[in-house]
Amino acid sequence: MPEFINTQFTQAVGNAVEINELLRRYGVKFGIYKNGVFKEQFFPFDPIPRVIAAEDFRSIEKGLVQRVNALNEFLFDIYHEKKIVSDGIIPEDFIYISKGYLAQCEGITPKNRIYSHISGIDLVQAKNGEWFILEDNLRIPSGASYPLIARALTRIASPAAFLENKIRDNRNYADMLKEIMEYSNCGGIRAILTPGRYNAAYFEHSYLAEHTGSALVQNDELFVEDNMLYQRTYSGGKTRIGVLYRRISDEYLDPLTFLPGSLIGIPNLMEAYRSGNVGIINAPGNGVADDKGIYYFVPKMIRYYLGEEPILHNAPTYLPFYDDDRKYVTDNLHKLVIKDVSEAGGYGVVFGNELSSEKLDELKQTILAEPRRFIAQEVIDFLDLPILDNGETVMRKADLRAFVLSGETTKVWASGLTRFSRNPDSFVVNSSQGGGFKDTWVLSQ
Amino acid sequence: MGTISVEHSDRLYWLGRYTERTFTTLKALQKIIDGMIDQKLAYTDYLAYFDLPDVYSDNMDFVRSFLYDKKNMNSVAHNIRRSYDNGIVLREEISTDSLSFLQMAKDTLDKAGASENVMLSLLPLEDILYAFWGSVNEHIYDDEIRNIIYIGKTLERLDLYIRMGYPFGIVEKESIRLMKNLHRVPKISPYRYNTQYLSDLVEVLGTEEDYKKHPGKALESLNHLFEREEKRA
Repeated sequence: MPEFINTQFTQAVGNAVEINELLRRYGVKFGIYKNGVFKEQFFPFDPIPRVIAAEDFRSIEKGLVQRVNALNEFLFDIYHEKKIVSDGIIPEDFIYISKGYLAQCEGITPKNRIYSHISGIDLVQAKNGEWFILEDNLRIPSGASYPLIARALTRIASPAAFLENKIRDNRNYADMLKEIMEYSNCGGIRAILTPGRYNAAYFEHSYLAEHTGSALVQNDELFVEDNMLYQRTYSGGKTRIGVLYRRISDEYLDPLTFLPGSLIGIPNLMEAYRSGNVGIINAPGNGVADDKGIYYFVPKMIRYYLGEEPILHNAPTYLPFYDDDRKYVTDNLHKLVIKDVSEAGGYGVVFGNELSSEKLDELKQTILAEPRRFIAQEVIDFLDLPILDNGETVMRKADLRAFVLSGETTKVWASGLTRFSRNPDSFVVNSSQGGGFKDTWVLSQ
Repeated sequence: MGTISVEHSDRLYWLGRYTERTFTTLKALQKIIDGMIDQKLAYTDYLAYFDLPDVYSDNMDFVRSFLYDKKNMNSVAHNIRRSYDNGIVLREEISTDSLSFLQMAKDTLDKAGASENVMLSLLPLEDILYAFWGSVNEHIYDDEIRNIIYIGKTLERLDLYIRMGYPFGIVEKESIRLMKNLHRVPKISPYRYNTQYLSDLVEVLGTEEDYKKHPGKALESLNHLFEREEKRA
């Protein structure tokens, strides 16, 4: 961290109480279900920002644009000719066994051939300064609204910090989002589809609707007629929706195409989408590309589709599916992190060094029985960041979710969601597991 | 503007009603708290206005219940929460700024609960509610949206004022406000008035004498104002 930045922390830290009061006032919350009961919590904010130097960010930016462009190419290929499979780059198994692959999306080409309009790419920085990709989130990545509102509020609470440092303004996220929504608009208003107030990310849904000037809608006010999507209005009319930024999972989107029991979907939405009458952000079926098993192949995708060497690297990953990897994984379970590819949100992640020998043996047997279900990664000794804990500065693990938006061009938002673990021994930073967040300063020079 | 959903129009209406109920209850309680300096049971008239049983041991017991008891449906605490519950799903219509005043109102009331001087600690709550309405006016560009909230607000105010026996001059002014809002509603809308009930309301509130004689009829007309025409026998 540049030394001149340190001096500015004093003010930001000194205003921690004010910033948190502002966040409370503006209702920066997320929902969580504990034992089946819904609770709204304020998202703990740490006032010490993460600082990314301009040059460092330029390299991250290039790497992310490259990665997301390749992932978009992959999605088009997988739902059409599947050349990457026939050319032997990715084994067929990894496509068809993936829960995220949706046969119902075969042959669909979204407007302008963009599948992942909003990509949330999780990165960590190792102690030597190198950045690694931990995970791609191409379905409905959430979290952008938190640093967006936090920046607006920290500028109020700590203006000198922004006056004296050259920090890139991140308050353009809603404009970027609006631009990509318009680029996929098939004729009509913009709308954000939410499952409702009791969804964990409801704050984000409503905040982004407000700031993009989109209608925030729920399924019971929407219907498809003549292959067009409409919103039913209170005065008995209907308004056509041209682009739908849906914040519900693929399987619930349309009960006539996916889960028949879905109570939050819109019957025939997929037909309207297939006909090109409504844009869906992100495209259904993207889960095949952010599957933890497919992650291993992303560097190969970059070489295959773009003919380039990957700029950003994956964390060293092993696929027990391959014989050599399986042997290495089962021999070294005690020092690896094992991820169940079907889980998300920090669940299904096991650190071998935390398991008893009986548990390690149990896990080994499960991996041998279901090798496709797991990936294993070396534990990256990633950089700890300072956070303020009851007035004291302590070091905690943190990651960065970068947001990459794909429209006419692919752009990286000069910010991101830095999440940290509140537990000193934990690598898990998810808000659903008690983590907090901090502002991410990208320096302009 | 044709993009107000049925669900949101309902929320807008109730946002207006609950916020007004919070405000008018607060004002009434301020008057009662002031009266407590001179009277032993300053709240009995208030309970009578709403046909509520007197289950309170003294003035403070009543005040605590009507200010802070979330389970008491007539309390400020209950109504500000209902107001917030409606507002939270209307962020893109009313704005984050307006919503922040409802969050502040809830927090201010919670803090006032721990204060020794109730009157003094509640003053900011009144200011915050005024600021909420200013913010709503400032941030809503769509007249239809604003009008639905104001229909809820003025109808609730009129209902409470009539129940509490407010002077005719004040009630008359509020009824004129409501009429203006009602005449802005599109013909097909859940807030299109029932002509017969509106006519009854206008009749009762036409003169001071009728208002004093038939307040119950005025309340009945208000309660049925949005019934579809064919429903009335």
